[in-house]
Amino acid sequence: MAKPKIASDWLAGCAGCHMSLLDIDERIVAIAELVDIRATPITDLKEPDKSGVDVGILEGAVNLSTNVEVAHRMRERSKILVAFGDCAVFGGVPAQRNMCGLQEALRRAYIETESTDSTGHIPDDPELGVPEKVKALHEVVKVDVWLPGCPPDPDAIFYALSELAQGRIPELKDEKLHWH
Amino acid sequence: MVQLTIDGQQLEVPEGITVLSAARRNGIKIPTLCAHRSLTPYGGCRLCVVEIEGMRNVQTSCTMPVSNGMVIHTNTEKIKESRKFVLSMLFSERNHFCMYCQVSGGECELQNAALDEGMDHWPLQPNWTNYAVDASHPYYVLDHNRCILCRRCVRACAEMTGNFTLATEERGASTMIIADYGVPLGESSCVSCGNCVQQCPTGALIDRQSAYRGLEPKADHIKSTCVGCSVGCAVDLIVHDNQLLRVEGDYDAPLNGGMMCELGRFKPIFDKQTRIRTPMIRKDGALKAATWDEAVAVIIENIKDKKVAALASTRLPAEALAIFKEFFADDLGGKMVTSIEENFPTQGLNEVRKSGLEGTLKDLRESDCVITIGADLFKSHMVAGFFVKRNLPNGTKLIVIDAGDNQMAERADIFVQPKQGSDYEFLQGLAGNISPEEVNKSTYVNIKSLEDSINLIKAAKKPVFVYGKGLSQQDGKVAEKSPLQALIGLAKSVNGKIFSPKGKANSLAAAAYKLDKPFDTHGFETVYLALGDDDPSNYLIQRLEKVPFLVVQASHDSKLMAKASVVLPVSTWVEQGGHYVNLDGLLQTTQPGTKAPEGVLSNEEALQIVAKASGFALKANWKSELKDYIRE
Amino acid sequence: MSKIRSLVLVSSDPFSINRGAVEVFEAIKKEIAKYGLQDEIEVSMIRDTGRHDIAPLVIIYPEAVVYGPVLVEKVPFLVEEHLLKGRVAAGLQAPQRELSGRIAWISARKGTLPAEQRVVLKNVGIIDPIDIEDAITHDGYQALGKVLSEMTPRAVIDELKRAGLQGRGGAGFPTGLKWDFVSKSTGIPKYIICNADESEPGTFKDRVILEGDPHSIIEAMAIAGFAVGANHGYIYIRGEYKLAQERMSIAIEQARAYGFLGENIFGTGFNFDIVVHSGAGAYICGEETALIESIEGKRGEPRARPPYPTTHGLWGKPTLVNNVETLANVTPIIRNGADWYRRLGTPSSPGTKVYTILGNVNITGMIEVPMGITLREVITIYAGGMKHNGTFKLAQTGGSSGSIIPASLQDTPMDFESFRRAGVSLGSGALLICDENTCVVDLTRVLLNFFRRESCGKCTPCRIGTRKLYEILTHIADGVGTMQDIVDMERIFPPLEQLSNCGLGTTAGTPVAGMLNHFRAEVEAHIKLKICPSGICPMNGSLSKELEKTWISVQA
Repeated sequence: MAKPKIASDWLAGCAGCHMSLLDIDERIVAIAELVDIRATPITDLKEPDKSGVDVGILEGAVNLSTNVEVAHRMRERSKILVAFGDCAVFGGVPAQRNMCGLQEALRRAYIETESTDSTGHIPDDPELGVPEKVKALHEVVKVDVWLPGCPPDPDAIFYALSELAQGRIPELKDEKLHWH
Repeated sequence: MVQLTIDGQQLEVPEGITVLSAARRNGIKIPTLCAHRSLTPYGGCRLCVVEIEGMRNVQTSCTMPVSNGMVIHTNTEKIKESRKFVLSMLFSERNHFCMYCQVSGGECELQNAALDEGMDHWPLQPNWTNYAVDASHPYYVLDHNRCILCRRCVRACAEMTGNFTLATEERGASTMIIADYGVPLGESSCVSCGNCVQQCPTGALIDRQSAYRGLEPKADHIKSTCVGCSVGCAVDLIVHDNQLLRVEGDYDAPLNGGMMCELGRFKPIFDKQTRIRTPMIRKDGALKAATWDEAVAVIIENIKDKKVAALASTRLPAEALAIFKEFFADDLGGKMVTSIEENFPTQGLNEVRKSGLEGTLKDLRESDCVITIGADLFKSHMVAGFFVKRNLPNGTKLIVIDAGDNQMAERADIFVQPKQGSDYEFLQGLAGNISPEEVNKSTYVNIKSLEDSINLIKAAKKPVFVYGKGLSQQDGKVAEKSPLQALIGLAKSVNGKIFSPKGKANSLAAAAYKLDKPFDTHGFETVYLALGDDDPSNYLIQRLEKVPFLVVQASHDSKLMAKASVVLPVSTWVEQGGHYVNLDGLLQTTQPGTKAPEGVLSNEEALQIVAKASGFALKANWKSELKDYIRE
Repeated sequence: MSKIRSLVLVSSDPFSINRGAVEVFEAIKKEIAKYGLQDEIEVSMIRDTGRHDIAPLVIIYPEAVVYGPVLVEKVPFLVEEHLLKGRVAAGLQAPQRELSGRIAWISARKGTLPAEQRVVLKNVGIIDPIDIEDAITHDGYQALGKVLSEMTPRAVIDELKRAGLQGRGGAGFPTGLKWDFVSKSTGIPKYIICNADESEPGTFKDRVILEGDPHSIIEAMAIAGFAVGANHGYIYIRGEYKLAQERMSIAIEQARAYGFLGENIFGTGFNFDIVVHSGAGAYICGEETALIESIEGKRGEPRARPPYPTTHGLWGKPTLVNNVETLANVTPIIRNGADWYRRLGTPSSPGTKVYTILGNVNITGMIEVPMGITLREVITIYAGGMKHNGTFKLAQTGGSSGSIIPASLQDTPMDFESFRRAGVSLGSGALLICDENTCVVDLTRVLLNFFRRESCGKCTPCRIGTRKLYEILTHIADGVGTMQDIVDMERIFPPLEQLSNCGLGTTAGTPVAGMLNHFRAEVEAHIKLKICPSGICPMNGSLSKELEKTWISVQA
């Protein structure tokens, strides 16, 4: 049997979850033996195979129209979709923007920050994605596995990946399940 | 006893308890949020639901009384689903993002409950409503965004402390926790006891000091006793990395049942005083650091063949007080060896004891009519005050007799202010030994108040008279018209008890060691002040102004440093173990929580060194002299 | 379509069907069509009538003539005589013997339609409510005299039990049983509370009784006090009912002056007095334990049960809490006896019921009719048909905690038992009748908005669940709903019923359940087609903006 293919991508996140993934250290060798790691933000391949992968992993919340596209693409191309980290699972830090409203957040970030001079303006290039209300991943696409944590613990990541690599849905509980 | 079955286990439990406590007594875990063993059942959060055979809906175990033959299931699929539903509702109500909450990671009961249920995400997203944070209080912060409206703080404020500051306003989804009629906490009638903070299951009420300094599960918990006053509340010292994070009341202690007051809970952790870390000797008009040997040598020089007065704080442990007394009174034969307590809080205690009417905290807690004479349980001995205040809505009557102002007065049924020094006449009037007209003439109290008071006291089944430092002074002698004797007579006539809050933490032990006469430093060449971590009063500082040679054994910098000739650094109560006799005569222990800074000795050790250098070997049998003062 | 002139009902209980009711039904329709009367005469089936000996029955309104047993071959004669020629079809009438329940009532009011059976409202509008002597000349305080001089407390309770009176506040709990519980409770003192915090939207039956005949309530409370051993009564009157409070206070004063309240009533040594307590505007205080908390001066939040008020009520003492209409039934029962009472209504729900009719009908207002008449009867006869000849779409009973009754249930007898079996509830007696111009999503949204605001906020499911449901419905009404919203609603309302602390929470989901059960296609049209079939919902995002504004106002 061919090794299961795994792809990952990130949305509105800080890359910390992927850093935590690297924190599984030498165990990544064991994972690499079990699975075929395809597109990730930290490899050269940037898009999941058109032919599809077995496991798709998404870090970060959905806060932009482009995020929605990436989320849908990953959903379409993967059999099992993993929401990776608190932002993907709950909305996390980016979702705090919902508390004050989008316009206020943008104004504060691009115009009112202490380091911004009078030329500060909210980016409006038509090529940019359109920001919207921040959502958890499962509000946008169907999610099969939730792996919470800020970031998720490397042990939990290793456990989840090795279960997925062996064709099982990981069941996170007790010490493996802790959001920080 | 009642027979019932929980999860297939046949159990026998006492009648009248709830299903939840029946389960807990038998080690069956049912998650809860709004239930707490120190509070009356509420049934608000609905997390503790169980299935009971024969009942249509699931039932809250925290409110359901047990009955014979009940068959209860706590872990069916339906129950697990119900718990998840309740939790997902709560998570979707306000801002419960754990990743930047200070109690996340073991201290939050909401998060723990979700993790126990294996919740790895929320099925419903939050509403994104942003609530203002009330940060007006000096000790703690009320963050409505973290609030789950379990009302534990509200109930603690009402049922435990009787303060009724916290309440809820509005209804439905707009329900909010408020102080008084919606004023900021810092401007409210809050007495800063912090029992609400200790109760809060989430990060809605957190104290400003311990936030982000260490998580409770990783911290050490040390059972100790508060030495803020003579109540001697049982406390948990929460220590992380040799820092005192928090002091919390011990819910299992029968004495205080988890309650504490501002003095015990917040003073230690918000302490901004400068620590004394090394012995000091005054040279050329200024205090200079010295070694212990140098400092002790200077002290010995000024003790030998000098007229020495020795004063000790009654916050010191019994061990230190015993050595203090043995060395200065027995060995040196000092004429003025006493404590720095003012207004003789333990004076006349023996007369009350002899009468057999001495009451305890338990009597106070169960009294249906409390009469305070010259005692303000709002200001000091606050926890004893809580025992009175919380009973007032249930019909307990309160009569406050005080020549001066009294903060308990606004809640009193009757507040009378006999003119200064006329307590004797008023008490005699209450006892019916003097006619109301005469009482009116000598105390200026109107006849109606007197008669109303007499009627309330007569109608009571368990009246308790609380006398404090304000009871007309007797100057150390038993006066002809002793108010205390009048009080004893009155209590006897109505079958009441007499309760005295006494003074500081160990004032009863000090009395046992006969360290309870009024201090006077006039005419003494050397004064040795074993202050420990006590705060010197202005009165004390004035009295020590003219002393030729002053030794101060203390933990903190104070105005006394300007006067002291020699300073010895000693540990605080958090750093030293010892014994205390509380106002009920209970012998309690304190345990060291943190380590004292290097070079700082305990009060006991410091006194030992001085005594040893003077050539005395101390026997230090602290316990035998306490015998008569300890109640088992 | 013109206004109908006659309503023909054919009984359709299993017994009648066995004897050919369906054939009779078809035959009547055929005959009517033959004469071209189908637009003027409505024919419908009716459920259990309580008389199986003369099945199948045919009841013709407005004359309220009861025929039975009607055989299919007699139908042409019946239709010709009654509906064409307008006279009673001779020889077909049901025999006039030992009539009971609903049929007895129909027979009794024959020829006087639309008639009511006024038991509870007997004196309302007839006596001067602030003149006790007027009340006395209309049987006032007779029952109290009878109870105190001739009956034992046990006999009073037994009489009530035999009468089969059920609580009219909405739940339909047997009143006699409740009195029995309180009388057997050991605590002292005991209290009687009259729950007059009538706050269900659209319900105003209690107000009319309080304003029109306050003495009947005072009398009933004193009887209750005698029966259960209580000497203190409270009437908790809704804060907005100023007139009712005023009249009740006057009535109490007068009753005291005449010795019907106070010490040693009628010289029998029985003491009883009543205090009027005003509510302060909270819907939840109509819930009996919240009402008790409110009287005690606390925040109106329902208590956990058990213990029940019958053992631990006001000030922790045994307390009897009864609705105004329930109490108003007590004096007639005592005066006329349980047997008389049982002849009204249906066997399982004896007595009458006061309904308040509102909505898209020609005549709105209040009626008192026996238990067991159908919604179709109410609409056609008492409400004068649908307004503008509209089509009946649904009715909402009992204010907000009632049910949505779809047209398919309009022939179910309105009594506690039949409604329970049909999975709906009678509620407090309001009948909000809606035509096809009513959007079910909008109606449910309005109801949930009410619950969201009126939930006390004590228990999690109700406080947050009602808010969530309201928000979801707002999204649907705004055209931004998704099919996931239906899943979410279905995830919320069942646990809401299971887990809530009191009746508000447990019933708050019923409008949503009713909406999804009976009108799912309409809801899905809002979501999938983004249209509101009734044209009521804005479908343009404006409601969500309003909603967000309310959030912001919370912050301020």
